[in-house]
Amino acid sequence: MTLAVRIAGVVKRFGNHTAVDDLSFEVPTGVIYGVLGPNGAGKSTTLRMMNDIIAPDAGTIELFGALPPGGAAAQRIGFLPEERGLYPKMPVGEMIAFFGELRGLTAADARARARAWLERLGLGQWEKNKVQDLSKGMQQKVQFASALIHEPELVILDEPWSGLDPINADVLREVVHELRDAGKTVLFSTHQMEQAEKICEQICIIARGKKVLDGGLAAIKRAAAEEGRVVLGFRDEAAAVAAAPVLADAALVLPPPVDHALDREVQLAAGVEAQRLLLALVGAGVALRRFDVVTPSLHDIFVERVGREQAEVAARHDAVR
Amino acid sequence: MTAPRRAGRPDWLVIARREFLERVRSPWFIVVTLLGPVLMVATIVLPALIGRTVDNSARVQVVDRSPTHQVGPAVVVALGVLKWKAELAPAPDDEVALRKRVADDQIDGFLVIPPEAPAGGTVTYQGRNAANAMAMAILAQVVTQVTQALRARAAGVPDDQLASVLAPVPFAATQPTGEAGGSSGMAVMIVGYAAMLILYMAIILYAVNVLRSVVQEKTNRVVEIMVAAAKPRALMLGKILGVGAVGLVQVAVWVGMAMLSMKYRGELLGVFGVEAGNWNVPSLRAIDVAVVLVYFVLGYFFYAAMYAAVGAMVSSDQEAQQVQTPVAMLLVVPVLCVQLVASAPRSGAARALTLVPFSSPVLMPMRWLLGGASIGELLLSMAILVASTVVVARVAAKIYRVGILMYGKRPSMRELWRWMRY
Repeated sequence: MTLAVRIAGVVKRFGNHTAVDDLSFEVPTGVIYGVLGPNGAGKSTTLRMMNDIIAPDAGTIELFGALPPGGAAAQRIGFLPEERGLYPKMPVGEMIAFFGELRGLTAADARARARAWLERLGLGQWEKNKVQDLSKGMQQKVQFASALIHEPELVILDEPWSGLDPINADVLREVVHELRDAGKTVLFSTHQMEQAEKICEQICIIARGKKVLDGGLAAIKRAAAEEGRVVLGFRDEAAAVAAAPVLADAALVLPPPVDHALDREVQLAAGVEAQRLLLALVGAGVALRRFDVVTPSLHDIFVERVGREQAEVAARHDAVR
Repeated sequence: MTAPRRAGRPDWLVIARREFLERVRSPWFIVVTLLGPVLMVATIVLPALIGRTVDNSARVQVVDRSPTHQVGPAVVVALGVLKWKAELAPAPDDEVALRKRVADDQIDGFLVIPPEAPAGGTVTYQGRNAANAMAMAILAQVVTQVTQALRARAAGVPDDQLASVLAPVPFAATQPTGEAGGSSGMAVMIVGYAAMLILYMAIILYAVNVLRSVVQEKTNRVVEIMVAAAKPRALMLGKILGVGAVGLVQVAVWVGMAMLSMKYRGELLGVFGVEAGNWNVPSLRAIDVAVVLVYFVLGYFFYAAMYAAVGAMVSSDQEAQQVQTPVAMLLVVPVLCVQLVASAPRSGAARALTLVPFSSPVLMPMRWLLGGASIGELLLSMAILVASTVVVARVAAKIYRVGILMYGKRPSMRELWRWMRY
């Protein structure tokens, strides 16, 4: 499989601050890839380097196999920057066509495509209006059209969901799926884990400019599920009481606080599979209403991993002091 | 880096076209293009018209200390003919009282004829209208004529010959233009000044326009997409060319209007109820128009590149105002030196000012129109301007490339130096 993006050992410093620190990841062609991280993690800086807006201090960025950022690669990329910007005084259709021409389309082609995009986004009758006459939501759609008019092979979206209402957020997800179905690669950054979880096939979580983990979303979640949290639901008080001795077994379950709630979440002891707990409970005659192996949400994984990372960094800081 | 293969127009042209269309379509462009010359003419004609209607006459008292007491009464009579309120001072030796009368607004001022008059001495005037050049010229002329008449009479010139002795001498200055008759020096000067003013206004107007356009792209953040799609160099070039094309259209319209109004000046002035007079207006040759247009294009490029760099260094319009001042001074100082070129187009100072690239765009066309520059000097001045524009544009492009993505802090001189060496 060819790579749409290959980033290897990239470093970017601003003064004394290292925004991106020895970052490496690979984005295969034709996937939806999420770069996730808290604010200030270096996501935007990384995306800007892919677009040749700034140059890395060290490391390499390769696009479409062998191209450096900018130049010939730029015409095959669609970019939506974090800071959105349009020309307020330009007619909408002309402005979208303008960005198409900048990405190498002929004037006639750009005009035709701009019209088609506006129709598709339900803004057909606004073609001749100035950008400043549009509502904020409409301007966002125009911004997407401007980034996508030249049918780029690689679409880079920096925080695309920020400021979108739920309906437009759904529209954006649809567009991203369509792009992927058409064989394009979509790479975006976000700190909104719910959006990323719904749409990403692969992710890379970064914090403080460093990679925390990357890989397929499904595999990452499966790995996290094996870390063993189970939700139990008892049919009645009696069942809860009957379960107490089983749950008190430290070899099976990490010591829980003593309580008799009918719904409870427990943490399995290291190396214990959920199956064994289920067998033990059934063997003790506990009447169960529910037995769920918790699959952690991306949000949980993110908080857990990034939180740990930041805790470690803080610890290192303290150690140095 | 391999050159991108593409079907459409090059980036700089796409950008230049956008900048051009956005401006030309704005209603303001049409208003300024059509009204600009009207305003320019108004700034020259209106003061003259107002000046003509202003009443320069004043209330004056005359203190006559001459032994014969002939000068004072004659001055009073002559001023009376000009509708001035003039009389002999009632208490001639009391200057304090006279000053008090001026302070109390009973009179505008008083004239003192010295004891040596009419043979010698200095006539003095003290008054609140002493700064009114027009009134003082009238007063001086009246005093001179009266005194000269008395001197002539004392020398025995008969009264009937006096008028012919004192008759004014008509005087006319013309500039040789290679054509029969030449044109009046005054008219040549006016055309020279007009060219200087048009160039100064157009260059500063459009160079500042480039600056504002750069700052606007920064403040509405569109610059990020632009830089992702095009090289900063293409961005700067496209912007300067697009805005410059608008300026060229405007200057061409203005020059055209100026030439038309020269041709039909009789009819035009008739509308204002003024007679055209028999001025010999210089006919502008094609080369003269070409010189003005070439210096506009070169001067504009020279200054627009600097302004683009200034725009890239700042992040708001207010900040731009401060930082552009030194650059603006480079163009304002030559305008202040205009008199050096106007009065002595062949002097060393004029030669230097029209070779230095900061001042040559506004001063060389004037010097050329005044006939003070040879073809050789013209070509040398253009060559220097072209060479310095190339240097300035290169440096500006480097500052632009780095600065355009900076927000917030303005760069120090040291940082600027580093940007240039990237």
